[in-house]
Amino acid sequence: MGLVGIERLKGILGDENVKTDLADLYVYGSDASVHEALPWVVVRPHTIEDVQNIMRYANPRLIPVVARGAGSGMSGQAVPSKGGIVMDLKRMNKILEINLEDTYVRVEPGVVDDDLNRALKSHNVFYPPTPASSRIATIGGEIANNASGVRSVKYGAVRDSILGMKVVMANGDLINLGAKTRVEATGYQLDRLMVGSEGTLGIIVEATLKFVPIPKYRCMGIAKFNKLEDAGNAISEIMSSGINLSMLELMDNVAIKAVNQAQNLGLPDVEAILMFEADGMVKEGVDIEVKKMMESCKKHKGFGIELSYDAKERTRIFSGRKKLFPALSQFKEYYSCTSLADDMAVPYSKMAETAQKIHEIAKRNNVIMTAYGHCGSGCMHTKILMDTRKKSQWEDAKRAVFEIYEYVRSIGGTTSAEHGIGISKAPAFKREKSDSLNLMRAVKKAFDPNNILNPGKLMDAPDDWVTATSLRYRLDEKDMK
Amino acid sequence: MEFKRLKEWKDKLHVCIRCGYCYEHCHIFKITNWESDTPRGKLILLYALLHEEIEPTDYMANKIFECFNCGRCDASCSAKVPVTDIFTDVRADFIDGGFDVKGTLSHINEDLCSKCGICVSICKYEARTLDKEQNKIIIDKVKCRSCGGCEAACPSGAAYIEEGYMVSEKELLEQVQCYLGGK
Repeated sequence: MGLVGIERLKGILGDENVKTDLADLYVYGSDASVHEALPWVVVRPHTIEDVQNIMRYANPRLIPVVARGAGSGMSGQAVPSKGGIVMDLKRMNKILEINLEDTYVRVEPGVVDDDLNRALKSHNVFYPPTPASSRIATIGGEIANNASGVRSVKYGAVRDSILGMKVVMANGDLINLGAKTRVEATGYQLDRLMVGSEGTLGIIVEATLKFVPIPKYRCMGIAKFNKLEDAGNAISEIMSSGINLSMLELMDNVAIKAVNQAQNLGLPDVEAILMFEADGMVKEGVDIEVKKMMESCKKHKGFGIELSYDAKERTRIFSGRKKLFPALSQFKEYYSCTSLADDMAVPYSKMAETAQKIHEIAKRNNVIMTAYGHCGSGCMHTKILMDTRKKSQWEDAKRAVFEIYEYVRSIGGTTSAEHGIGISKAPAFKREKSDSLNLMRAVKKAFDPNNILNPGKLMDAPDDWVTATSLRYRLDEKDMK
Repeated sequence: MEFKRLKEWKDKLHVCIRCGYCYEHCHIFKITNWESDTPRGKLILLYALLHEEIEPTDYMANKIFECFNCGRCDASCSAKVPVTDIFTDVRADFIDGGFDVKGTLSHINEDLCSKCGICVSICKYEARTLDKEQNKIIIDKVKCRSCGGCEAACPSGAAYIEEGYMVSEKELLEQVQCYLGGK
């Protein structure tokens, strides 16, 4: 893409919305994953027409286009592994309509999750998926990755909050998918196909989302377990007993130690902690859910149970979980917290076994791993802590990642619960979905015949994630010899 | 050019997980909306500079000096990277390297300055001194925190904050007028 191309893009968007300085390209070449690759140019559309014009320029010239929201993805979805145009959609950030009568909201893709919920709060309603990164995550990015968060156990993932959307196709055509109604049986559910497509099928330029009332009562609790297995059994029983919790989180001993070490929160040195929350419009209903929850915990040797309806107290109880990510980043000097094998989903009955297996695999491969996550939705989070300056540690991590995904697949789990596939998880994803990869490629070809939309991701990503792109970490030269 | 001070932060730059939480409240990002103006973006640039993958430029140096030192990035950092401390040290490296930067710094209009020294006495960061030999106000670009105190205190309107970031006296007044329905 030469100077003429850059001038054309400036003609479409204005000089101020096109960046070609190496400094800008460097920044837009990475996200929260371990990958990086330089784009050729960064552009910033403000309107649907801008997006259409960019696609009309790029498509016949076979220039890759990578849509980007907050760049908070952990698997390399926004990394332009084949170069091309990075399309930063953060300036398309208007809330277009809040329709209280028909209970939907229409937004542009660059609207930040927390900003949307701040706007909805005054109407006593909220958009529930809310991933941990909701402070910066954009709605477009959340849809493209089918994000979810701590309350997904009750309110579902992003796909459960989507009613419809507008999408700009690879050739610049604009299509309307879904509807504004709560139900729709009007042919193929193409809006659902866009969810989790990671920018490979089209550019989401508008979304219609449903919202729900903010519950009047919320009660949060914590239970401690001396055995991880007991916590696992409690999870299974809770989830199969019909209790409709709004949150159920697990922290294992490594996670507890990390939080205590970094934040001095004084959490008990036990094998596992469960944090739970029930919500509703009627207090008696919440009381019943919480009572059942406590009974299940006690039955499986849970102790030290604390409960509170008070907002401040709830924040205190949850602070250990909230501070886990920073705590892991400081767990060991020179160790980095990498998002590898970080969000598989497993059956409830296998949660405890999975946590134990993770520790076993980590030990065998000389890395540190923890197990925590939204166990109410079967999501098991991990992070691999390692000395990213050492080449040998990347080999260790590669083995650990492979072993974890092989195990997850063997017990009926799935590669990603909410962080998506991108580049890092593509090898495991391809093994898991081997019988449908050709069908996925056919779908991709139907949407994007020239393969310009975020190429080299999902089923088209390389089989070795370590060498798929440059790693964003630089190896220590001494270790490389 | 050698980044002596930056090298001391090598390990801290390495643990940044690039989550992006640092830019949630970043004023510079709110103004420009480009990721290269976020604390994360600047840390990525510094990482590349540290490993000599990109050459320092005026464009890059200016970015590092575009910061109001509010510290919100430090507070929200997932990996507890001391972002503003790193930026302060790298600014000194850039100044040592001979870069002439504007950033969000305070400046002085020599034609209007009466050398009264009020800006020197009110600057809590000791970024301003009165050079009696040269009879002029000297601004330490590393120490200046772009707080705007000098601009507010200067009786002759000689001290000013770089415009374009919506915090200069003129821009703030315009915003207030706009809010009150004046414009």
